[in-house]
Amino acid sequence: MSIETIDAEDVEVEEVLGSAIKRREDPSLITGRAEYTDDIQRPNMAHMAVTRSQYGHATIESIDTSEAEAMDGVIAVYTAEDFDVPGELPVGWLLDSLRTPAHPILASERVRYQGDAVAVVVADDRYVAQEAANAVDVDYDRLDAVTDPDEALEDDAPVLHEEEGDNVALDWELGDAEKTDAAFEDAATVVEADLHNQYLIPNAMEPRATVAEYNAGSGDLEVNMTSQNPHLHRLLMSGVIDHPEHKLHIRAPDVGGGFGSKIHHYADEALTALCARELERPVKWVATRTETYETDALGRGHVTHAKMALDEDGNITGFDVDTKASLGAYLSTFAPAVPTYLYGTLLSGQYDIPAIHVAVEGAFTNVPPVDAYRGAGRPEASYVVERMMTLAAREIDEDPAEFRRKNFVGADDFPYQTEVAVEYDSGDYEKTLDEALDALDYDELRERQEELRDEDRYIGVGLSAYIEACGLAPSELAGQLGAQAGLWESSLVRMQSSGTVTAYCGTSGHGQGHGTTYAQIIADELGVPYDDVEIVEGDTDEVPQGMGTYGSRSAAVGGSSLATSAGKIVEKARQIAAHQFEADEEDVEFENGEFHLAGAPDESVTIQEIAGQAYLAHDIPDDMEPGLEATSFYDPENFTFPFGLHACVVEVDPESGEIDIERYVAVDDVGNQINPKIVEGQVHGGVAQGLGQALYEGAQYDDNGTLLTGSMQDYVVPKAEHIPEIETRSTVTPCPHNPLGVKGVGEAGTIAAPQALVNAVTDALQPFGVDDIEMPLTPERVWRAVEENGGGN
Amino acid sequence: MEFSDTFEIEDTTPEEAWLALSDPVMIKEALPGCQFLVRVDDDDPDFDALREQTADDEDPPTLPEADPEDIAERAFEEGAHYAALMEIGVGSVKPSFETVVTIAEREFPEMAAEGEGSASNSSFELEAGMALEETEDGVAVDWNAQTDVFGRVAQMGQRVINPVANRVVSRFFGNIEEQLRDVETDDTGGLRNKIRDIL
Repeated sequence: MSIETIDAEDVEVEEVLGSAIKRREDPSLITGRAEYTDDIQRPNMAHMAVTRSQYGHATIESIDTSEAEAMDGVIAVYTAEDFDVPGELPVGWLLDSLRTPAHPILASERVRYQGDAVAVVVADDRYVAQEAANAVDVDYDRLDAVTDPDEALEDDAPVLHEEEGDNVALDWELGDAEKTDAAFEDAATVVEADLHNQYLIPNAMEPRATVAEYNAGSGDLEVNMTSQNPHLHRLLMSGVIDHPEHKLHIRAPDVGGGFGSKIHHYADEALTALCARELERPVKWVATRTETYETDALGRGHVTHAKMALDEDGNITGFDVDTKASLGAYLSTFAPAVPTYLYGTLLSGQYDIPAIHVAVEGAFTNVPPVDAYRGAGRPEASYVVERMMTLAAREIDEDPAEFRRKNFVGADDFPYQTEVAVEYDSGDYEKTLDEALDALDYDELRERQEELRDEDRYIGVGLSAYIEACGLAPSELAGQLGAQAGLWESSLVRMQSSGTVTAYCGTSGHGQGHGTTYAQIIADELGVPYDDVEIVEGDTDEVPQGMGTYGSRSAAVGGSSLATSAGKIVEKARQIAAHQFEADEEDVEFENGEFHLAGAPDESVTIQEIAGQAYLAHDIPDDMEPGLEATSFYDPENFTFPFGLHACVVEVDPESGEIDIERYVAVDDVGNQINPKIVEGQVHGGVAQGLGQALYEGAQYDDNGTLLTGSMQDYVVPKAEHIPEIETRSTVTPCPHNPLGVKGVGEAGTIAAPQALVNAVTDALQPFGVDDIEMPLTPERVWRAVEENGGGN
Repeated sequence: MEFSDTFEIEDTTPEEAWLALSDPVMIKEALPGCQFLVRVDDDDPDFDALREQTADDEDPPTLPEADPEDIAERAFEEGAHYAALMEIGVGSVKPSFETVVTIAEREFPEMAAEGEGSASNSSFELEAGMALEETEDGVAVDWNAQTDVFGRVAQMGQRVINPVANRVVSRFFGNIEEQLRDVETDDTGGLRNKIRDIL
């Protein structure tokens, strides 16, 4: 079932793109040679630790740093008043209704979540720093807290930002309310449900970390940090700590995962940089696992009421969604986009729905800021759509597969303009459904389900026909929607005179395998050996510009940028070849790394030879500059819209509430595949995280905003034993608007999996009348759901 | 977190139990990890001074040895503040909580207290109540406690905190129960009468 990898040297140049080449980054990662931020040592390096609020909500009455300052080995203790810098974290996405209360890097008057930073200590030793941070005596006056978005929006809720009057962070809608209301008036059937999407902790394997070093002579500040987007961090940090952007060097060494949590600009990284500059000493800060649980931006946090209208033939005529979304205590970097444009725009799912309306209220709550986490808005949308599709099929007693098929956007209807602003580029939804039904042997499965029920055994099938949107674009549209950044990607491809290639890309991989896939793209475009291509990312001094890695954008936007730059190189090389052949450019053909005159394939010159000529510059066209390199800023014309059908088969024991996953089938269409093994790996990882949300995960806070799931002992991250064998299949519907035809796969599994599982479990429990169970579906919740419905008696 | 339970002490009277449970010395001795428990003037005492002050103190006798008059003298008073230093082992750490308790209500046979304790980067808030009821065989002590835990200790996770809280609470009441049994086994009769007289 699983895809076999092959060694790069066994692959012909013409087949390099699309081959399951072994990841070149793995040997260093698995033999401990990778360099993570915490591996970086500098002479005379000091360590920073952060004093954090132990309360979810409190005013700060006083801060006494004297005891901490007096401790042996402590170099400095800083509170907010000690730094003369702007010191406020900016928000990178604005909306008309958005309120933007200050988000200081150190709280001085009030703390709004457990973990909010109050002071920092720098010491010679990491443990001394931590002890001294604990010794900072903060006198708090505790306030009532609120962590649930629904409750935060009630009139009597404690208000986090008093100057705002209430906890409303944003009030946003999309679609046609009037048309949607009319659809419900004429509906033959209306299906309604309340759906929850719980808080998730990102759990990147490597905690956030920073090593900063300041050169007082040159004014250069070098910041090594766990970043998914170094150039973006450079821009943001430059403002936060008031350091000129060109004197700030951000470098992401090997980064151990992010899942979105390392996109955002947090206080800690800026504080480390500030301390290094103040003290003129290298300073390191590494988050403990507890700190990552307290401060990494949470994912999800939605409470939704959804309504679906159907006509008498079972066609969807209207969809109305009302969501309360938590944004946490402050607005994180891209937080406002997640429950709005990354959520509402996906509510048409794979379906032709003539009327959609979505209203979202965002709430400030006493939890860490909520921002993008693998999928970012799209899993929440897909959950709502696919739960409602299943509930609607049950309501009108139709088979859930056929009900979906009937409402699909047809294969011939692309590009398809949805009622919620976006235009789907390409798709063939029936194909992935059929592929999945075939893999499941669906009809036989339904028969077996019936038979087993007679034996008091309960199996269920859950379908999830998901759609994802990757590579948020183009920049102009993003700007109209509120983005405070462009969403292009930049690359520089440089051929050395010996014919080897170094390609710089503004994305910043942190486990995705860009070193491999990007090299495949370049090798294919230039017709050079894969091993002759080196990929450089994640360093603002090396890579000219960039936007980073998130939203499954790297292949679609970064990869396209690289392909575009490589294409420019080929064109320049073609001109040099034509010059040497004394022929017209149009007559020079390029194939597998060789130029030859049309009709004369025997007389050829390799691109490597041309590269040598380009640098010698002894005999190149008169009006041409020497060298062989090209830069591109690729700005896509649209998002890409991957899709697929994930299906889950479970057996549920109604007496114990235990769920046994019998099969998990993932059929994904992510456009052209650069490296099928990496695609498969992304699907596996995404499904594992999606099933994690469905079955185990969930950040829980008590009434005071204290995190009750503050460690991996209490917050269950699924381990290998928890994940079933995932059967992957794929179809290929290329993206029509980028040079590679790729769509993106980074988030597909996380978007697809949760509702596949919930739909399956509730399908199994239909004899007990159980239609919904809140995630995570712990055995206790499953058992209670059965009991509440009479336990089947 | 909320805890409540009822325990019964045989062969005693509500008055005896009341007097014993009103004794700061007995409470101090019953509380696991309690370094001192003293009356203070306000709810913001200087714990460093108290540490020094109580360092060499030896606990005066409690029932049944103590003179009931002395206990009545030092008994909890409604509205009064008490400072306690509590060392509690939670997982791998053993924070010392500087705790201030205020007697919110004290009228036979009911007593209520509220308090706050803080240690390095951890704290708790507590509300507790107790009521005595005469039964056929003795006295039923009906108690409840509600605590909120914050900070580092809270983060050890509920699976660590709950057993610790349970352990502290059950050991405390276990100790009280035991001490009260000592009173009941003191069969001189004189003590019982004395206590009755005081109340």
